[in-house]
Formats: sequence, C-alpha cells, structure tokens
Amino acid sequence: MARNTESSTRSAGRVRVDPGPTLGAKQHRIGKRAQMSAWLANHQLVAIETLMALLARPMASILTWFVIAIALTLPGALWMTLDNIEQLSGRFQESGRITVYLQPGSEVLAGQALSDRIAQLPNVVTTDFISAEDALADFRETSGLQAALDLLPENPLPAVILVEPPLALSGEPLDTLLATLRGYSLVDTVQLDMAWIDRLMAMLVLGQRMSVVLGVLLSLAILLVVGNTIRLAIAARVDEIRVVKLVGGTNAYVRRPFLYTGLWFGFVGGLISWVLLTISWWLLSGPVSQLAGLYSSQFSLKPLSAVAALTLLLSAMLLGWIGAWWSVSRHLYRIEP
Amino acid sequence: MSILPADVMVRFDQVGRRFPGGNDALSGVSFELKRGEFAFLTGHSGAGKSTLLKMMMLMDRPSRGRVVVDGHDLSTLRSGQIPYHRRKVGVVFQNHQLLFDRTVYDNVALPLQIAGYSPIDAARRVRAALDSVGLLGKEKRNPIELSGGEQQRVGIARAVVNKPALLLADEPTGNLDPELSEEIMNLFLRFQQVGVTVLIATHDIALIERMGHRRLILEHGQLVQGGLPTEETVYGA
Repeated sequence: MARNTESSTRSAGRVRVDPGPTLGAKQHRIGKRAQMSAWLANHQLVAIETLMALLARPMASILTWFVIAIALTLPGALWMTLDNIEQLSGRFQESGRITVYLQPGSEVLAGQALSDRIAQLPNVVTTDFISAEDALADFRETSGLQAALDLLPENPLPAVILVEPPLALSGEPLDTLLATLRGYSLVDTVQLDMAWIDRLMAMLVLGQRMSVVLGVLLSLAILLVVGNTIRLAIAARVDEIRVVKLVGGTNAYVRRPFLYTGLWFGFVGGLISWVLLTISWWLLSGPVSQLAGLYSSQFSLKPLSAVAALTLLLSAMLLGWIGAWWSVSRHLYRIEP
Repeated sequence: MSILPADVMVRFDQVGRRFPGGNDALSGVSFELKRGEFAFLTGHSGAGKSTLLKMMMLMDRPSRGRVVVDGHDLSTLRSGQIPYHRRKVGVVFQNHQLLFDRTVYDNVALPLQIAGYSPIDAARRVRAALDSVGLLGKEKRNPIELSGGEQQRVGIARAVVNKPALLLADEPTGNLDPELSEEIMNLFLRFQQVGVTVLIATHDIALIERMGHRRLILEHGQLVQGGLPTEETVYGA
C-alpha cells in the first residue's frame, strides 16, 4: 500500500513502518503540480466569487464602500490642492529676485558700473539697472499719478538694481550674497522678494504634513471599518467555516474569501474615491480657470495624474486587505468544529 | 518508536479526557479497530461517545494516553497538519451539518474542492458518491427541500466522497424512524464491504442487536465491553 508507506515515512510521529496489505479504500493522491494549479484555480474562483457576492447585494456593502471612499477622498483632495498650489508657486519663483535700492542722488554712471560689478558676482544670473529717471518715467506711465508727480520739486524715486539669483538659491549662499550687496557704499537698502515665497513654501510643507497625518488617521478608520465588516461576514458564516474545517479545510483556505472580500472593498472604495475626486476637479476647474484668467494667468487646475490614481487604488486595496487580515486573525481561529 | 501491526486502523491506549472542573469524560479507554472493521459504539447519553469520536478527528485531544489513527500518533500532529488528517477521515453527524446556502451537489463537492480536485474529477466523484446513497437525481436541489433521511444520506455522501479510510458516524439515525435507520445502517455496511473502516456511535440498541456486529460499550467514560485487555494495552511504551 504505497500511500501508507509514503505518509508514514514522511510523518515525524510515525508508529508503523511495515507496509501492510491493501485494506482501506483507495484514496486519490494529488501531485505537486496539480496541487499548485488547483491552488491558483481556487484563488481565481474565490476572487471572482467574492466580487460577485459583493456586487449581487450592493446595498449590504454600499455603506462600507462609501466610508472607505470618503476616508480616501479627504486626504486625496487635500493632496490634490497642495499639488496645485505647488505648481502655482513654481511660477512665482521667477519673481524671487533681489531689489537693491541705491542712495538717493547716486550718479547714473556709478549705478550702471555697480550693476555691472554685481553681475560678475557668483550666484547672480543677471542684473538690471533702472535709473531714478527711468523709474519715474515708468511710474508716471503705470500709476496714473502724472499730474501729482509733476508737482513734486524733485524725483522721489531712488535708482534701483534688480538682481536675479539662480532659482534654487537659498540659505547661506543667499545670505552671503545679501551681505555683499549691503556692503557697497552706494547701496541704501536691499530687499529680498522671495520672503513671501518662503512662507508659502513653509505653509505647503505644513499642509503636506497635515495631509499625511489625516491620511494615516483615515487609513486607521478604513482598517476599522473593513475589519468590522469582515467580522460580521465571519459571524454570518460560522456554520460554513465549521464544516469547511471539519472536512479538512486549512486556515488559509478558510481565510481566503475574507481576504479577497477586503481587497474588493478597498478596490471599489478606491474607485468611488477616484470618481469623487474627478467630479470635484471637474466642478472646480471651470471657476479656477476663470479666476486665473482675471489675473491674466494661464493657471488651470491639474486633475489627478494616472500614477496618483493608481496609488490611490492600490493603497485602498492594501488597506482593505490588511483590515480583513486583522479581523480574520482575531476571529477565525476561535471557530473550531 | 513503537510499532503497531499494519492492519490496525485505530488504536486508543489508556486514553483519558478530563474537562476543566475535574469531570472525566473518558478514562482508561483502550481499544483497537482493524482495517475494514465495522463496529458500533454505544452507551448512555453522556457516556463519552462523542468525545471519543472527536478525538479521532482532532476536534478534541486526550488529557492522558495516546490515539493512533492510520499509523499516525495524533498527539504528534502539528496544528497545520490537522486539516490533512481530517481529509482522511469521513464523518457523519446526527444533525448532518449541511450548508443550506448551496445545492446538494456543492455540499458533497466541498471536501474535494478543499483538497484541490479538478472540477471534472470532482464531478465524477460527486456523482459516484450520490449514486452510492441513491440521490443521483437530486444533486441540483437545496438540501433544505429534502427529507430528514435524504439529508442524512447527503451527509454520508459528503463523508465518503473523498474515499476516506475511516468513516465515523455520531448518532446518524438519531432523528430517523426505524425503517429509515436500517436503510442508513445498510449504507454504512456497503462502505465497509469495499474496505472502509466504520465506527458508528448510536444508542439505538434494538437496531444494533438486529445487525449483530462488534460492540464497544461506554459507561461513565469507561469502556466496559469491546476494549483491549488491560495487561497488554501499551505497545512498547
């Protein structure tokens, strides 16, 4: 009896080694490869069956789907907003330049010479010298205060050198540059126009941190919701689990449908979240473009990128799976035939 | 290492089971079932019949002694090996433990699906099992539509579909009238005739006496008939 010889030599707790005559009913043995393909077939079957079960009774799981969707949409929307503000601030980097005001009454030639000298400094891309007269003429044209300006006895505007540092310049090199500029005797004050961008950047970092914290908290909420839903699903199938264990179902076999259910919960929730984010984008992008148009800006609201959408979907599925695993590992082992 | 003769299917050595609280469900139970043997296990209710059957399925473990099934000392099986042990043992319950959310066919196919049979292979075996219990025409029905006797036969079909070497039954005729009970018992006899070892727990004394097979009698957790003589109970221990 080949089967018994095989099983008794394999087992650690073997008691009998001599192969006896064939007495018991013949039992079918399944080979490794067939076992593997059966395992894969079972995964496929369970994946399809659990999805069908969810879709067959959508009202039963719609609450869970929407809780997952909303929990994902909140940090998703925040992230989308910040991503757009970042894009906006990128455009303003261009105006991150240094304005050097010269002493009143400075000679035009001296100012021009200083401008050329500054242009030679490291960490300076270009400079632009605006003489007091040019500044006044410019101001006269754009301000509409022509009449009032004509009344002034002398030009109240100082000559200015506009210094453009490289885009990424910050920290110590920037401070060094500012100190150098302040050091020239001709210079009255130096103003860095980038300060407000720094503040904006700091707020963006804060916002990103907040979206991460919100994301983590809401991920926990998803775990709890999926875990609870799976707990109810387990409770509803206690009899089935007992019978399955009784006829030789392994823990993995019993676990499988619940894990797939969690995965599908996450998938559908993620999908709904993506739809919600896309609808929000669609609703907002019109007014935002209009607003940007009023500021004569080409800015338009970016939709969720394909990578971000995929990340959203995959993390939703992962959360659903983990939530299910957590619930299954807490409740399933207590059910024994 | 102890060696049991090859023809021993089940062996209990001084098995005791004490529940928390000090209540002894079984004590000093020793017996043997040879391969292909047919035996009844009887006793008053609460005598320990179910506990004894559960030990062979690893639904319960002894507090003392040793249980050997099909050459394996069950105390050495790790929890991961329990499912594979259960696949070798068919079991039938009084309340048949059928699932009413699926057809008769799917109920019987469950053990095969779990063991990883291909659907075609499984279909052939399910039909054979249903045929052997006379339910071939009812595979698409829901078990809830069937009579008590028919439900019990679905349970038997599920227990034998995997061709187990050992078939256990706990009060399989408990809810049935005498005529149906005899039918069910004859079914078990037919499985014994093809080589399956069968142990049936029942308190239907009249039926047992009519059928006249080996009897194990439990009384207050002790085997009073059909056990091994005490002097040779432990092999090589």
